[in-house]
Amino acid sequence: MHSRRILVALATLLLASPRVGAGLPTADPPEMPVAHSLAAFRQALQSGGPGKDGIPSIDSPRFQSAVAAEDVLEDNDKVIGLYADGEARAYPQRILVWHEIVNDEVGGKAISVTYCPLTGTALGFERGDTQLGVSGKLVNSNLVMYDHATDSEWPQILGVAIDGPLAGHGLEEFRVFWTTWGAWKARHPDTRVLTEQTGYVRNYQRDPYGSYNPRGGYYLPQSSRLFPVMAGSDRFPPKTEIFGFRTEEGAAAITRDALREETVVEMPLGDSHYTVVHDAGLDTGWVFHNPRRAEVSIDGLRFGPEGVTGAGLEEFERVNAFEAMWFAWTAFYPDTRVYTGEGMP
Amino acid sequence: MKAIAMMVAMLVKDPRMLALIVLVTLVYGGLYLWLNGDISGGGTGGWQAAFPAWERAFEARGPFQFEPVGLIQVGTLVWTFSPLNTLLALMMGGLLGLAVAAGLKVWKAPRQCGLSASGAGTLAGIPALLAGGACCAPLVLIWLGLPIAGTVASISPLLVPLALVILLVVLWRLAKSLTSSTS
Repeated sequence: MHSRRILVALATLLLASPRVGAGLPTADPPEMPVAHSLAAFRQALQSGGPGKDGIPSIDSPRFQSAVAAEDVLEDNDKVIGLYADGEARAYPQRILVWHEIVNDEVGGKAISVTYCPLTGTALGFERGDTQLGVSGKLVNSNLVMYDHATDSEWPQILGVAIDGPLAGHGLEEFRVFWTTWGAWKARHPDTRVLTEQTGYVRNYQRDPYGSYNPRGGYYLPQSSRLFPVMAGSDRFPPKTEIFGFRTEEGAAAITRDALREETVVEMPLGDSHYTVVHDAGLDTGWVFHNPRRAEVSIDGLRFGPEGVTGAGLEEFERVNAFEAMWFAWTAFYPDTRVYTGEGMP
Repeated sequence: MKAIAMMVAMLVKDPRMLALIVLVTLVYGGLYLWLNGDISGGGTGGWQAAFPAWERAFEARGPFQFEPVGLIQVGTLVWTFSPLNTLLALMMGGLLGLAVAAGLKVWKAPRQCGLSASGAGTLAGIPALLAGGACCAPLVLIWLGLPIAGTVASISPLLVPLALVILLVVLWRLAKSLTSSTS
């Protein structure tokens, strides 16, 4: 009887989240909403054109100093920034557009920085002992990754495996920043920057889809999407950039203009409450779980390398968030709450 | 096959036909490489060439699409050079050049039966061009704003073989009508 109890306790411990799925840190159940069934996601999978690893991930990234990067980056060029354990890194968008995934290591932790050009989304994931790769498939135009350990398939925005041995599990995320080179180096002057020495030959001066500096081609807000979606909404032009976050209780999006103008946005979601703070330096947001609805004023906040501090925010749990094109966000989260600046959503 | 070989031998003996074949090969080959993204803009002026990745020459990026091994920049043009993509582009261009030259020869001949085959030969190059465009950067679809990249991507593995088969059938038909009109 006693040994049976120990076995039950062990089984409970093994099933508790987070846990490691074949070397990959995952959570079961996932910590984010899954609006469609996994079967529906699998049915909506599309070939993106290139085959598996046809868009090759960068597995041995090389970095240069911010001073050296000045020769190849303009202030308004988009970068994906990462800060962890006192180390800052910038991954230029014009390199990631050709690779979509960088399997990197920061502060002794194995991570993947991922970017999907077709949905304008950058997310960071912990990868444990394995690596993430580009499957060549898309769902809602979004990059579908696979892990080398189990070959499970993970749409990037969803962060949950839709196929393979880890189907239904969620990846462990960490925050990365979709910002500009000028803003990132101002916040992190000692940042290291990914170089073009990727091990592959690509024309890194050219983005095959368009341009962010200045904005053009596929990235224009009113331009059409290329692939079908599971759910559509005409509320905003398809490529309008929104700032979104999701929890087990649902998803919420804020228009960039509303966030910039109001600087602090209160968002109820499910039975809970969240405070979103605008970071003018990086032109992005920070999301905090604020269940007691404590008042937060932008005047009491300080923005530095470690993030946003002050006004008691240290006591709140930080929630991951990221920018995305509207058509993709609403395709994954058709029931999303949306805040456009007219008051409480 | 023998008829095609005889036709090719006859065409390349004619300097004007040979020039036409070379011209079509180069124009089509360049267009194919531009549509599949190997040749593009973004160069910063001047010229440079580096070939750091010969070991990737046979690595596939997608159906009939291979990894570049080097980068050649001339002015604003950048060519990420893949030997196999280039070979494929020139092969398709060469077959199309032969079809156009043979079609012209048949058209000039007394019998009219080659006219439709000549047109078909020219059209035969289109699937391969689509294949190039469908693979890595759906440039044309972005310009046109068409949400059909999924459809094009799903049929892209068939486009190059389809173009090859059409071109060979057209060449065979042209070779037959050419040999019968000259005999």
